[in-house]
Amino acid sequence: MERPLLLKHLSLRMGILACMVLLVSACGKAPSGNAADFDQSYPPTNGGTLIDATIGEPSGLIPMIAGEAAASAVASNIFNSLLKYDKNLELQGELAKSWSVSPDQKTITFKLKPGLKWADGKPLTSADVLFTWKLVTDDNTRTPYGADYKLVILAETPDATTFRVSYANPYAPALDSWAGLQILPEHLLKGQDINTTAFRFKPVGSHYYKLEEWKPGERISLVRNPNSTQGPPRIDRLVSRFIPDPAAQFLELLADNIDSMTLNPIQYSRIVPSREDLQKKLALYKELGNNYTYLGFNLKHKPFDDIRVRQAINYAIDKQELIDGVLLGLGEPVSSPYKPGTRWTNPDLSPYPYDPNKAIALMKAAGYTGRDKEGYLLRDGKRLSFDILTNQNKQREMSAVLVQRRLKEIGIEARVRVMEWASFIGRFIKTGDFDVVLLGWGLSLDPDQYSIWHSSQQAPGQFNFIGYNNPRVDKLLEQGRLELNPDKRMKIYHEFASILLADSPIVYLYTGYGLPAIHKRVKGIDNPAPPAGIGYNSYDWYIPPPLRRNEISQ
Amino acid sequence: MIRYLLKRLFWMVPLLVGISLVSFLIMHLAPGDITNTEASFNPKASEESRQKLRELYNLDKPVIVQYGLWLKRMVKLDFGTSFASHQRPVFWETKDAEGNVIKGMIQEALPITLLINVLSLGLIIFAAVPLGVVSAITQNRPPDRAITLFVFIGFAIPGFWLALMLMYWTGVVNDWLPISGIHSLTHDKMSAWGQMWDTLTHLALPVFISGLSGLAGISLFIRNGMLDVLHQDYITTARAKGLAENTVVYRHALRNAMLPLITILGLAIPGLIGGSVIAESIFAIPGMGKLFYDAVLMRDFPVIMGILTIGSALTLLGNLIADIAYAWADPRVRRGVM
Repeated sequence: MERPLLLKHLSLRMGILACMVLLVSACGKAPSGNAADFDQSYPPTNGGTLIDATIGEPSGLIPMIAGEAAASAVASNIFNSLLKYDKNLELQGELAKSWSVSPDQKTITFKLKPGLKWADGKPLTSADVLFTWKLVTDDNTRTPYGADYKLVILAETPDATTFRVSYANPYAPALDSWAGLQILPEHLLKGQDINTTAFRFKPVGSHYYKLEEWKPGERISLVRNPNSTQGPPRIDRLVSRFIPDPAAQFLELLADNIDSMTLNPIQYSRIVPSREDLQKKLALYKELGNNYTYLGFNLKHKPFDDIRVRQAINYAIDKQELIDGVLLGLGEPVSSPYKPGTRWTNPDLSPYPYDPNKAIALMKAAGYTGRDKEGYLLRDGKRLSFDILTNQNKQREMSAVLVQRRLKEIGIEARVRVMEWASFIGRFIKTGDFDVVLLGWGLSLDPDQYSIWHSSQQAPGQFNFIGYNNPRVDKLLEQGRLELNPDKRMKIYHEFASILLADSPIVYLYTGYGLPAIHKRVKGIDNPAPPAGIGYNSYDWYIPPPLRRNEISQ
Repeated sequence: MIRYLLKRLFWMVPLLVGISLVSFLIMHLAPGDITNTEASFNPKASEESRQKLRELYNLDKPVIVQYGLWLKRMVKLDFGTSFASHQRPVFWETKDAEGNVIKGMIQEALPITLLINVLSLGLIIFAAVPLGVVSAITQNRPPDRAITLFVFIGFAIPGFWLALMLMYWTGVVNDWLPISGIHSLTHDKMSAWGQMWDTLTHLALPVFISGLSGLAGISLFIRNGMLDVLHQDYITTARAKGLAENTVVYRHALRNAMLPLITILGLAIPGLIGGSVIAESIFAIPGMGKLFYDAVLMRDFPVIMGILTIGSALTLLGNLIADIAYAWADPRVRRGVM
């Protein structure tokens, strides 16, 4: 009697235990999961795998041809340029040990570091640099980026570590352009058609990592390149998973299947701080944005040719409200087209304050003296009424609605019209058939803004599509291109920015922060982020062995 | 029969040319081209180099000339190479002199989309037939009401929302299913069975979500077909003969009620190669829906035309197959065809 009962009991308990084990093992998937304290500090060690997620998949890994962000993100871990930007966004040598500009400012000589090698062990010499320059300027190469390099009238390689380029006139953005050209190996590409070569799917570079595997539609993994020209990185393997939907990315981050992603303001300032389990394992960072959002006027259309109307609209818009409403406070106002806090930004400038009374006074001065029954301002019996065009982009749509409301308050009628990108460009921007657009421009690292603001750049397809024309600005932009001395250049662009702000051809709205979230298992990340963002020292990031994932750390 | 088939196949050719011409013209009605979408707002990309690209892609020529060039290639079954994707072949792989194989874009996207669609179509039929039958024989009683309510909820619920909720519940809160993608990172190191299981668990949610929305249509179709048939005289006769109710329902009624399903399945064939953009984006599945959507946004004309051509050819073929299957299943139709 006793035994069977006991057995029954035992088997029941065993059953429950088995169930519990199953449950627990099902829940605690992360081996280091709940037990490990991710805040503890560890000494730097090599090894480990970092998994991140990107929205898009590269179309190929030859950077000059595949122009999209997904491609450059991966390619920037594989290829080197002659120069690079350091943590404070100053130029520094990458493949180049040093560079010098001739006294007439027309010739730049790069000295390569000695003993450079490609990932396959072959030497990397100035011949490769020359070869890459020939490729990017070749008419058969399907690249939209050739213009800067075609200004070179003579490129030569006096010896294996020297590369010299000459320009017909001094060209200040040249240095920036050499930081943007990633050098390709001549020995693997010679005689191939760069547009169709298989090299684009199995590239060989010289940077920290080399391609391990590319699973189309799923992921790219990179491994440490033992021949790296920049020394070895700490983390062994980088895996980028292609997850087009940001919500799905966030779920993968919550489930610990990826280590890093870029958050949106709601995830950053509402969801993560409200959950203790997420705060324990995720570190949030804040980087300077790479672009600014603006409201641009078609200066060839009336009444936007009148500076008083433009300034009135500028005063009528509350920029802080946009930053608080659209970005949940995670942004900054801008008053020049450069990254806030860098040398090119004129520290004396500040945005137009929100001042509806001043706006109305300016509108009155511009002839809008009457008001109709609905409260809209009238000039010659007509309202100021226009469409704000923007493309499908949530932040821009939200901004347009807030702008619309503030304009209505002072008596200007605006309608918001949202469009798909290619139609927007093809139908409205190229034809100049618009009144007001809400768009963004990049905050470029080189201060040259010739193609956006010079009066000669207004043909269809060129970038001064709003039709800005100011002789003094033209002059400054021309001077700025001829001056390679950074201090003199800075003065030129400070003056340019202050004229631009006063003229108000666009209303600067804001620049949003980049908001990366990275799992706390990854150590060695600078916080707060330097001007260049947290990624500048990613080769020094490390994942201590106790915090690594079991499944993939071999 | 053979003559009929040949005639139908022959007429497909002018029809296909017509369809492709109309598609080509509509595609070009939308403003913009690849040079507007690729690097379009990068100040480093000059207008001259974009003009150069336009010439390389023949985009500067009149639309009808471009169509002629496209047709000339298509006659040789050459689908061309993508504008946006680094000159990748649109349809099938190519091999270069050194033996490097570059896979075609449709070639890579098609299998996974087909797999998901076939599985979810199977799931739909597997679930819809019994649901429809039960609904019909319990017409207007609680089981019928419950089933109708269920399939309509499945039809009406926004797929992306349900997908995210299920991903959160089965992937984050519990560790039952993977969240997105089609393979685990460790897929290659698994055994054959492990790999199959891995793929199946990855596909479970996408198949369930796309099946759920299709359930309502088919199950109601079967329900109504059954109701029609159950009121026919020959069913009364069968019952009067004293046949068991099961024999009446499944042997005599269901087989006739299933006939219209053939048409539906025939029409579903072209749908098999089309994926859902939303489901594919959420689940990170590199399928046909995303491929087509991205191609339209990028104005990647060769890819758009490639998918449209294959889609319309399959639609025509699907109609033909449905007609033939109908003739095979229904003697009345057969006499008309032959």
